[in-house]
Amino acid sequence: MNKIRWLNFGFQIGAVILALLFTTVVLLMAGAPPLQAYLYIIKGALSSITNISNVLSAWAPLLLTTSGVLITFAAGLWNIGIEGQIMVGAIFTTGALRLLQNSTVPSGWILLIGFLAGMAGGALWAALAGVLKTFGGVNEIFGGLGLNFVATAFALYLIIGPWKRPGIASTSGTLMFPDKLWLPTLPKVQFSVWALGLGILVVILVYFLLRGTHFGLRLKAIGKNSKAALLMGVPTWQYVMFAFLLCGVFAGLAGAIQVTSVYHRLTPAISSGYGFLGLMVAMLINYQAIWAAPVALFFAALNIGGIQLPIVLKLDSSLSGVLQGILVLFVLLVEGARQRLFRKR
Amino acid sequence: MNVELKDIQKTFGMVHANGGISLKIPAGTIQGILGENGAGKSTLMKILSGFIRPDQGEILLDGHTVSIHSPADAIRLGVGMLHQDPLDFPPLRVIENFILGSAGGLLPDQGAVLRDFKKLAGQFGFSLDPEAYVDSLTVGERQQLEILRLIWLGASVMIFDEPTTGISTAQKMKLFAALCLLAEQGKTVLFVSHKLDDVEGLCSRVAVLRQGYLVGEAKQPYSTKKLVEMMFGKTISVGGRKPCRADKVTVNLSKLRVEDYRLKVRDVNLDVHCGEVIGLAGMEGSGQGLFLRAVGGMTHTVGGKILIDGRDLTGRSYQTFKKHGVAFLPAARLEEGLVPGLTLTEHFILAEEAKGFFINWDKGRLLAQERIKEFDVRGIPANTVESLSGGNQQRALLALLRDSLNLLLLEHPTRGLDIESVIYIWNKLKERCQKGTAILFVSSDLEEILQYSDQVLVFFSGKVTPPLDASTLTTEKLGELIGGKGWPESTDEGKLA
Amino acid sequence: MRTKVFKITLLAMVLVIAATACGSPATATPAPATQPPVTQPTAVPPTAIPPTAVPTVAKTFTIGMVLVGPYNDSGWSQAGYEGGQYAVSKIPNTKLIYVDLGFTHQGVTPAQLAEQLLAQGANMIIFNSDDFKDDSNTFAKAHPDIPTIMFSGDQSWVAGQAYLNFPNMVNIMPRAEYAKMIAGCAAALTTQTGKIGYLGPLINPETRRLASSAYLGAKYCWTTYLKKDPASLKFKVTWIGYWFNEPGTTLDPTKVADDFYSSGYDVVMSGIDTTEALTEAKKLHDAGQKVWAVSYDYRNNCSTAPDACLGVPYFNWGPEVMVQVQKAIAGTFKQDWVWMAPDWTNINNPDTSATGFINGQALSSDAAAKVTQLISEMASGLNLWTGPINLQDGKVYLTAGTVATDQQIWYLPQLLQGMEGQSVLP
Repeated sequence: MNKIRWLNFGFQIGAVILALLFTTVVLLMAGAPPLQAYLYIIKGALSSITNISNVLSAWAPLLLTTSGVLITFAAGLWNIGIEGQIMVGAIFTTGALRLLQNSTVPSGWILLIGFLAGMAGGALWAALAGVLKTFGGVNEIFGGLGLNFVATAFALYLIIGPWKRPGIASTSGTLMFPDKLWLPTLPKVQFSVWALGLGILVVILVYFLLRGTHFGLRLKAIGKNSKAALLMGVPTWQYVMFAFLLCGVFAGLAGAIQVTSVYHRLTPAISSGYGFLGLMVAMLINYQAIWAAPVALFFAALNIGGIQLPIVLKLDSSLSGVLQGILVLFVLLVEGARQRLFRKR
Repeated sequence: MNVELKDIQKTFGMVHANGGISLKIPAGTIQGILGENGAGKSTLMKILSGFIRPDQGEILLDGHTVSIHSPADAIRLGVGMLHQDPLDFPPLRVIENFILGSAGGLLPDQGAVLRDFKKLAGQFGFSLDPEAYVDSLTVGERQQLEILRLIWLGASVMIFDEPTTGISTAQKMKLFAALCLLAEQGKTVLFVSHKLDDVEGLCSRVAVLRQGYLVGEAKQPYSTKKLVEMMFGKTISVGGRKPCRADKVTVNLSKLRVEDYRLKVRDVNLDVHCGEVIGLAGMEGSGQGLFLRAVGGMTHTVGGKILIDGRDLTGRSYQTFKKHGVAFLPAARLEEGLVPGLTLTEHFILAEEAKGFFINWDKGRLLAQERIKEFDVRGIPANTVESLSGGNQQRALLALLRDSLNLLLLEHPTRGLDIESVIYIWNKLKERCQKGTAILFVSSDLEEILQYSDQVLVFFSGKVTPPLDASTLTTEKLGELIGGKGWPESTDEGKLA
Repeated sequence: MRTKVFKITLLAMVLVIAATACGSPATATPAPATQPPVTQPTAVPPTAIPPTAVPTVAKTFTIGMVLVGPYNDSGWSQAGYEGGQYAVSKIPNTKLIYVDLGFTHQGVTPAQLAEQLLAQGANMIIFNSDDFKDDSNTFAKAHPDIPTIMFSGDQSWVAGQAYLNFPNMVNIMPRAEYAKMIAGCAAALTTQTGKIGYLGPLINPETRRLASSAYLGAKYCWTTYLKKDPASLKFKVTWIGYWFNEPGTTLDPTKVADDFYSSGYDVVMSGIDTTEALTEAKKLHDAGQKVWAVSYDYRNNCSTAPDACLGVPYFNWGPEVMVQVQKAIAGTFKQDWVWMAPDWTNINNPDTSATGFINGQALSSDAAAKVTQLISEMASGLNLWTGPINLQDGKVYLTAGTVATDQQIWYLPQLLQGMEGQSVLP
């Protein structure tokens, strides 16, 4: 047993090494010094308090989305629609904040209401995907893609329509919220302990939910074999809906954090790809919640540190995204190879 | 075209699907291939038509050894197969389907194709609208389309896999006429069926398969008795039964109607007593599986009533049936019954009533250990279910059942199991009967049906016999009924359309 | 199982593609290997050193630029980027580093990008877009010790409407209104159908006043030089929604330009950061149609399609950036708002004029002569922002003879009477 575990670990390490090798080849082809490139990424992520705080503020929403998709993955669902769920969460938060910003409600309460609204928005959008899946027979991948599209269109409409800046119609975003509606941050840096705390709390929650509760076990049973789960008495569609809702709540929270702690306004790109990134993190960690936090942190660091590449090496800024993608691909490929290898024996 | 199969062998894992079959079929004949489910008919036909590669053996067409690697190869050599579920593309038009799979260039000449199509259809007396969409056709019409397509592609050996399932009598007559015409044209027709009547009425010769072997051939005129004997093997004397039927009726079905897209099961009336075992016999797909699932609330009924323990549960979900003491054990253990990837412990926790929010793992493990011991499952609580053998999976499934049940529904409870497991599992089931649980089970093993049932229902194309006393039945009689012989002439044959 | 792994892998690939595709704006792909080195090496030609102005120990002063689009977009961002390079070429021991906005799609704000530039040693930050107003404020507030320049804003304009007291913030903006008037004139002199299309970016005071300036120039030349009825000149603005094309978010500028041309607008003026109008004009021109485009932003961008280009009104940031960098080095950088006029003695002097107009090959010599006439008239005092000027809804904005104040031009609330298109979105 132990030997097998070490062997599996070896395979994972092998995958990471392969991914690094492949990225190195890509870098060489782009005419960049690979070692230096990696060093710059590390430096860009860790070299100053500001950088570290930027990494941490990217970590918080990524933790939330990763946690969310861990739940839907457990139920065997590909919640591609999470991008839209973040978006609608952000829209709801923005709506609540706009509604209350000129009222006499204390700003702490406004923020709280904004977060609740964000959760409701994310859950609503996830519920739509769930209803399409359970009652409409629409695969959640296609439903999700469609709903993402609708969410973006809705955000755009609001940004250049009813919520536009006075006298301005730009898709760049709505008017910035006043400082009092910013999630409080540590002095001197831009990251909020509240956001991060929320992210960590949710990851812990999901870990225990999937590992130690009847709810989690039933989700897993549905994910692995929904027919058998039904025969064993698990109300499957209700649980599928619930998985969607929970993921939507976390996605909505991520959207609320993007609005109150990062952008302080609504932009068409408010989801920042954290939904897709969360899906990739979940695949990379083979759906094991225990690894969610460190790997999400690593991805956040790649996102922030990667900015150094265009600044210093004039490389396209999407390179760190390529590295992330290659990592996931290689881990999946190696996992596939491992399964074939072991079956042959 | 003369077809010769020489020593065809094929194994799937441990199972001999074909164990060295040799068969000669002269051109211009309609050859019947008869056998019960799992006898190896389909495997043999799939080998001939290129869907499966044999492990060993030769195929000769007109005396020349050929190697068939794919269905495309087969059709090039003139061998075409018509599957039980037509392999067409429902969202396309008839004519588009017709063209698909042709070797022609990128842009087929639609006009010429249409002329060919109409000519062929006229020859066989099929009236198919080339512009209709395939999903608007009946099963019979889709068959007709496939036949035309295969002929157009140049097939001179044509295989029909259970073609009379799900079509109307009128369509059947048309089909038989077409098959006779094909044979007259010198084509070789292979007619695969389990329906004795059809085979006897149509085929000039018949080969019978059982458990992967060719057990005999016959020519017209046939002796039904002999065919049944060949299909099901020699009658083995049935051991003594220990009925524990009580007076109390636990399940009451009245005028129950179920249907799917090809079958209609009509107006079944049945009282199931506590402790009673009722076997459901019939060729696979004759309606017994549908019926069993309907009684468990897994398939919607279209009429009639289901009373469990006096309560009307008609139209309710499986969850409700489960609450009222009904349990269902599917034949596909790993596909439907168990959750691969989860351990035995996790299964026992899942099957138990959840208490509280968090799982008490220690308690779960203890429970698993207890049940594993009680049901003699060869495994430990931390084993994932897919690592268990089939017999142990079935034991695990039984171990997962709640203590007191009103009704237990079983699909092929001992299929693929070794003798030891079979005996063990029936002992366990009988224990439940003694506690008052009634059992309904589907099996294609006639001995099992006769050995363990108190009463038997036989299904044939959706028709159901009244409950037959198992103690007065013989395998021969049962085999005939399953093959559609000896049924009272019914007047509602047309309803199958 | 195998097919499952395959499916997952396939999906992962789709995700990767989706994630990386979101990462960079679709406008242009930088070609890192082929571009000349951007940073200036420390070796500096001795002739350029003003010996007294620099402290004895030369420490490199780094300018960090946050660009809204790719540095090589042949448009707004390239103009800004070359402005920074100009300053570096004129001041010893300086270098330029930059980053473009591609990253905001992955959750990084422009302010955070600026902080990454600081990590690379930037001593000064330039935000090159009106879009970065919020972020430059956030940044300036968080880093009061870093001289911060924002192109085109008004938050440091004491007399403006959005004044904020950030001592380390400077706004600079060329008075491109003049160049736009000249461009409008060139369009009016060329159009055969009397219909001019204006490819607008998003709607804000800046884009309104620039589009309106183009219209004023067009109307002036149409009536004064061609002696035609102003009512017969059609001038229509279509806004795409952002500074450049973002598929799925904005209208497609190529399609907008094409719609103009196919509905009889034979001259399209670009108001966006990139060159779609010109590209489309070239395509149709090559197919034998009589259509033209007036480009925008970057002095050299007629070169992509000289046959169809009437000229380009452009920005020349270099001289003012140089002034501000010198102040920052000298420690005299302070809050300011600079709206730079062209050098009327030669509006195309790269060292003195903040904005200018370069004729395109497609401009006829007759029209070119009239354009030159307009420039000299303006140099000697002609101001087209003089009443009577009515707003689009008919309201009087400037009574006859009244000259517009800076505020009235900067904060133009609507398009002008006679222009078609939205002033604000409903």
